[in-house]
Amino acid sequence: MSTTPERPTDVREHALSRRATLANAILPGVLLLLGGCAGAVRRAARGENPEIPARRGASVVRADGTRCFRNHRLVDQDGNVVRFQEDLVEGRVFAATFQYAKCNGICRNMTEKMRAASELLGDAMDHPIQFYMFSLAEDSPADMKAYMQAHGLYGKPGWRFLSGSREAITDIRWAFGFGEPDEDLDQNLSAHTGMVRYCHHPTDKWAACPALGDPRSIALLMLRCFPCDERPEIDALKGAFAQGGTPIPGYRAQPPVPPRGDA
Amino acid sequence: MAHAHSAFGRSVSRRSFVKGSALATGAFFINSRHSLAMLREEPTSPFTAPWVQPLRFPSYAVPLPSWQPLDGPPVDPQAHQHYEQFAPQYHYDYQLCSAYARPHPQLGLSLLSTFCGCMPGPTFMMRYGRPALVRMRNCMPNSIPGFGSPETTTHVHNGHHGSESDGTPFYQLQPGTYRDMHYVNACAGFTMTPGGDPLEAKHTLWYHDHCLDFTAQNVYRGLAGFFLLFNDKDSGDEHDANPDAFRLPSGVPDGKRVRNRYDIPLMLIDMRFDQNGVQTMDTANMDGHLGDKLTVNGLVQPYFEVERRKYRFRILDAGPSRFYDIWFSNGMEFQHIGNDGNLLPAPLPTDHVKLGVAERADIVVDFSQLPASTTEVYLVNRAEQTNGRGPTGNTLPMAAAPKLLKFIVRKDAVADASRVPATLMPRPAQDLPVAQERNWHFGRSNGMWVVNGQVVDINRCDAAIQRNTAEIWNISTAGGWAHPVHVHLEEYQILSYNGQSVAGTSLGGRKDVFSLYPGDQMRIYMKFRDWVGRYVMHCHNVVHEDHAMMIRWDIVP
Repeated sequence: MSTTPERPTDVREHALSRRATLANAILPGVLLLLGGCAGAVRRAARGENPEIPARRGASVVRADGTRCFRNHRLVDQDGNVVRFQEDLVEGRVFAATFQYAKCNGICRNMTEKMRAASELLGDAMDHPIQFYMFSLAEDSPADMKAYMQAHGLYGKPGWRFLSGSREAITDIRWAFGFGEPDEDLDQNLSAHTGMVRYCHHPTDKWAACPALGDPRSIALLMLRCFPCDERPEIDALKGAFAQGGTPIPGYRAQPPVPPRGDA
Repeated sequence: MAHAHSAFGRSVSRRSFVKGSALATGAFFINSRHSLAMLREEPTSPFTAPWVQPLRFPSYAVPLPSWQPLDGPPVDPQAHQHYEQFAPQYHYDYQLCSAYARPHPQLGLSLLSTFCGCMPGPTFMMRYGRPALVRMRNCMPNSIPGFGSPETTTHVHNGHHGSESDGTPFYQLQPGTYRDMHYVNACAGFTMTPGGDPLEAKHTLWYHDHCLDFTAQNVYRGLAGFFLLFNDKDSGDEHDANPDAFRLPSGVPDGKRVRNRYDIPLMLIDMRFDQNGVQTMDTANMDGHLGDKLTVNGLVQPYFEVERRKYRFRILDAGPSRFYDIWFSNGMEFQHIGNDGNLLPAPLPTDHVKLGVAERADIVVDFSQLPASTTEVYLVNRAEQTNGRGPTGNTLPMAAAPKLLKFIVRKDAVADASRVPATLMPRPAQDLPVAQERNWHFGRSNGMWVVNGQVVDINRCDAAIQRNTAEIWNISTAGGWAHPVHVHLEEYQILSYNGQSVAGTSLGGRKDVFSLYPGDQMRIYMKFRDWVGRYVMHCHNVVHEDHAMMIRWDIVP
């Protein structure tokens, strides 16, 4: 196992020639402009409101009903730079926990539970659920990779350990509802959250449960983010949780009841 | 910033790191200490003009005609305890479905999850001695946009029912499926005394969704209604010739039938709406959801015309997380006759009642006592609350208190046959020996709501209790949060609250939910009778409940 920190793929550390420097100075501006135009076109098509209120943990629900967060820059266990909204949230179904590689508290237990839950779901779901672990301690890619290797998660489809600036992770943590109003408590690593936030972004479905609970419960609750008719039958989860109802003979889905006359 | 260095490798300078962060996160961290001191903020709902719409009421739930069988397979008697003893006399075919509603003319249409297309759901008018069976059909779509889940389980709050009909999170009704709920409508103790203990009668119950992890979202989205129970004493008839009848103000409105109706259920839910006037909820807020629009029976600030006579109001705090301190704007007194589901030993004259989530206050107000010049009175909430964790403890000045409902008082006095008896329902005897004493602490650990340090696992039984025994439970809380604690199945009697007796107070009757404020301790006596099976106790700030603040307890034979 290499202990050298992995580098973000888009970072250039070599000395640049004058031409390259010039190109480097102009090109990002051009790309930014083009990107901005393309983004604006996309946003206009989607009816997106790009203005995120200037408060911690803020998000905006767009015209299409999906949620938009600040597009934080993060790095994963392989050193790849990813953007929070674009790469991790947009159109995804995911479960997110907050932890750090050198935690001596609840983190490893949480990870084991989440891994067990993902294995219950994994094959049946063809890995559409992403599992994100956000680093609370600005872990290096090497530390994150080592942590994942220790838990048998490195290389596992859908799993990512993500690090970023304290401010970025704090913003994401607050956005997911794991903020404390008391600053000392909020930044106290030994008291960090043991909850998992799960999300079905296309339908803006959000819920949370303890990551330290029964993996079968965690797996079932994650499944429930999906529309009812898109869930697979998973034998290992049958009867593990709640008892379902009896099928209604000849049932057909019904449209919503229109508003009352005086509504 | 040692970790920042390692996180991004040597090639990322501190300057570029800071620049990247600043670009990404904007300027909102500049005053980080200040922003950290604030809880989550939510957008403000659009303006709505108050008192432009009349108070509305749901229709009664109507049983099927006696000749009409339930649609679908017959009921399985083996699936229900005491089914033969309490053979259903009434059958209800009940649908859960999506429906559009506009809580105020200036707001948009919101897609609600409802019982039978209305919010609140149809009012059940049940009677002791008349068992009923309700076939709950989930006809919701397979997916609903935004918050809420189309899967449900319907719990009759305060009901004395078998575990299989309690609607606890052990059951989950998917769209396209149904479940039969057997409501015996019998007083607790029926396996020990024929007919049960009449002193255990309960009258103001309500039903709501109890889906694990989604209760707050689903109830807020509309899955709640009243379930009223009557008997010979609280007969629902103020002209009742029976000398035992209380003859309280009577007549529950049935949809648009509101003439000569004086028994008024009021369901309070605080809501929030987006810029398009559509109901919204911050599902990432684990402290609790607070709305900035107070609704009564699903309407924002309606008005209600009243006659100059006595009215009974059954006020329900249906949450999700708001606490109320209910007053009339003129400070007038009223009679507090009932607490949660039951009637108090004696009416208590008072000028306000406090309600935590799921608590009910049964009050009788006499509008004939108002001066002739008074034509308007408001129902106001004087409890200050700035976040979902609980009230601050401050009482808002009357002038600053948010108004919930406007009463337009008619001019002329009218005949009033109703009365409020000097005695109502004595406390039942604590006649079962205490088999065990247990301690339950509602707290917080690693950002999670916990009971005795544990998050809920509904596959784990936290207390196995012998049927037809009694126990004493010591329930406490700490930290900066209020927790309205609800125990299913049976009502309990409070032996002491913070070491003090509650005799003669509004807590002197029975309770099924009680609000614990930071540092509070409550000692209760509770019987566990008649049924076996799985039940729960949980915080009824339903956002806390959804985030694992619940235990499972079983009654074993």
